[in-house]
Amino acid sequence: MKLVGIAGSIEDKSYNRLLLKFMANHFSDTVDMEVLDIQDVPMFNQSNDQTEGEAVQYLKRKILQADGVIIATPEHNHTITAALKSVIEWLSFKIHPLSGKPVMIVGASYYEQGSSRAQLNLRQILESPGVDAVVMPGNEFLLSNVKDAFDDQNNLKDARTVSFLQSTLGKFATFVKMVNAMDAEAHADDWKKEDLEAKGEVETTIKGVDMHAADWVEQAAAKTNAAEGDDYVKLDRGVLTVNQLNWFLNSMPMELTYADANNQFLYYNHQMDGDKMLASRTPAQAGNPLADCHPKRAVPGVKRAVHMLRTGETDLFKLPVPGIPDKYIMHYYQALHDDKGEYKGINEFVLDLLPIVNYYLKQTGQVLAADPNAKTDAVSGASTKAAVAPKPDEVTGASADTDAKPVEPAVDEVSGASADVDAEPKAVVVPTPEPEVDSVSGASSN
Amino acid sequence: MHKFIAMVGTNSDESTNRKLLQFMQTHYADQAEMELMEIKDLPVFNKPESLQIPEQAQAMAAKIEEADGVIISTPEYDHSAPAALMNALEWLSFHIKPFADKPVMIMGASYGALGTSRAQAHLRQILDSPELKARIMPSSEFMLGHSLQAFDDAGQLTDNQKVAQLDSLFGEFQMFVEITKKLKNSHAATYQDVRGMDWTKL
Ligand SMILES: Cc1cc2nc3c(=O)[nH]c(=O)nc-3n(C[C@H](O)[C@H](O)[C@@H](O)COP(=O)(O)O)c2cc1C
Ligand SMILES: Cc1cc2nc3c(=O)[nH]c(=O)nc-3n(C[C@H](O)[C@H](O)[C@H](O)COP(=O)(O)O)c2cc1C
Repeated sequence: MKLVGIAGSIEDKSYNRLLLKFMANHFSDTVDMEVLDIQDVPMFNQSNDQTEGEAVQYLKRKILQADGVIIATPEHNHTITAALKSVIEWLSFKIHPLSGKPVMIVGASYYEQGSSRAQLNLRQILESPGVDAVVMPGNEFLLSNVKDAFDDQNNLKDARTVSFLQSTLGKFATFVKMVNAMDAEAHADDWKKEDLEAKGEVETTIKGVDMHAADWVEQAAAKTNAAEGDDYVKLDRGVLTVNQLNWFLNSMPMELTYADANNQFLYYNHQMDGDKMLASRTPAQAGNPLADCHPKRAVPGVKRAVHMLRTGETDLFKLPVPGIPDKYIMHYYQALHDDKGEYKGINEFVLDLLPIVNYYLKQTGQVLAADPNAKTDAVSGASTKAAVAPKPDEVTGASADTDAKPVEPAVDEVSGASADVDAEPKAVVVPTPEPEVDSVSGASSN
Repeated sequence: MHKFIAMVGTNSDESTNRKLLQFMQTHYADQAEMELMEIKDLPVFNKPESLQIPEQAQAMAAKIEEADGVIISTPEYDHSAPAALMNALEWLSFHIKPFADKPVMIMGASYGALGTSRAQAHLRQILDSPELKARIMPSSEFMLGHSLQAFDDAGQLTDNQKVAQLDSLFGEFQMFVEITKKLKNSHAATYQDVRGMDWTKL
């Protein structure tokens, strides 16, 4: 379970931050908890919107990725600090990342009341409609007289306090699961809204060109006056010509496909003819909506897969395509994000792993042997995590129906075999009894 | 004539709460002197170990000390007072006590129908805490809902009923200021207690 902790204090030395750090360390067996910084968040100001600034975006990203949030609040003047309130205001103005999030409130203060009034206030604030968090009821953790609570290793001194904190955290873990399960149920059908016809548009969508046209690439290039040939392109860290970029991408030891956030298939690295590819693409397909690239029966699987990547349920899922002689073909679907974490589409990359495995074995003098303890049938690729089974090639650019046979996976759609988890290995690597020395060390001097 | 500080409870450039206070400033010009006080540009309160308070906060404190009373008009953000206002009050309670025994009237304006009822309750609770210990006028509330539609182009409150209600509350506040003065004199000892209050020494 992934949690984030926010301490409502921006002082260099904060007992509330100390408390969260203690929890993160001491209970690391139970929860994976990251303590977030709010030091750089500016004072909320309705007339100076800084939602897009890095400090707020950082918190948004971290909160959205977490299963739950723990807030440790000081008490100033019988309420929470302005620093914490300002954070909450940013997170309830143009964006609402706390909406539906399970939250636990704890607090430390110098005085006997141990932040009781601030906690009550915070609960009321978090439950207001703009924030819309789901605060755990019926539990309170108040750390009073906090100046004497920690030893010089920054551990809580009192064993009973630690065990109470542990049981509160245990309850929160259960609460998080409950709330998120309800939420998952409420959103169970969201994937159906995924628009594979690409009827929407994103900032980069090239308007006024028929997506279905066989010469979409030529038309779109003319329309946008696209750079080509020896034109230079400035990249993140480098400058290349378009030709260099093409040579570079076409030399990648894998097939690459880009579909944007509007589910439009924009590009593949055109190394060879479709019938020679591991996952066939043809030049006329570039520009097509994803729906055009798939047979009807595949649409639900594609929608689910795209939705998982769009919502961040997973950033990468891996789909093995077993059953092809002398190959172990993998389809990887990688979500693309801009530097603010916004979803920007999918990179599907397809490659054959077998040559890599064979090379490794040869170099290290080992052979494959069956693993008697393997739990899962590698042929089916079945796994337990996600209830999604998109077929390979069904997510991005894929293929003319004709080549469906060789890539038809044995993944069981009905059982909900997982796409984002590797199939359990059926083989383990064991050393060969007498490896040839040269092949191991590579030390041959001739 | 009483001298009041009218504290704008937001750092926003456009504010219906500021408009409300500006309306009162002219509307009651013959009854009291009202000076608008802005809270923007204060740094986020971070309990500095140096105990150093920003100059702006010091200047604000001095003005509040001098005034006969403070009128605060608060927006409502997330069912509570805005961070910017909470922030000002943190600075104004950090080893200085300008609000101790100071008569305060709370009001507020919001875009919605409820007119800051929850933010006002929150603000009352804050001002009542030991380091602030303001004398908040009891049993009085002025809530201006649908505040974006409440003023005409000349900045006048258009709803006559609201104006009448405000008139009577303002008169009440003037009396409250006088009563509090008398109380303060007879309770000089409590007053000293509050002055000595310090969270770091508890
Ligand atoms: C301006 C100010 C107001 C305070 N008001 C309260 C209060 O109302 N109740 C309380 O228990 N502690 C109060 N304290 C002391 C806090 O308990 C203390 O600052 C605590 O929040 C420290 O938490 P931290 O180390 O995480 O910042 C106040 C401190 C300051 C500086
Ligand atoms: C972050 C944020 C939260 C808000 N929450 C509330 C609220 O809980 N209740 C409410 O009536 N208005 C809420 N509003 C709208 C306010 O009514 C409005 O912004 C404010 O009270 C008007 O005051 P002003 O004109 O002085 O800025 C919120 C506005 C913002 C920016």
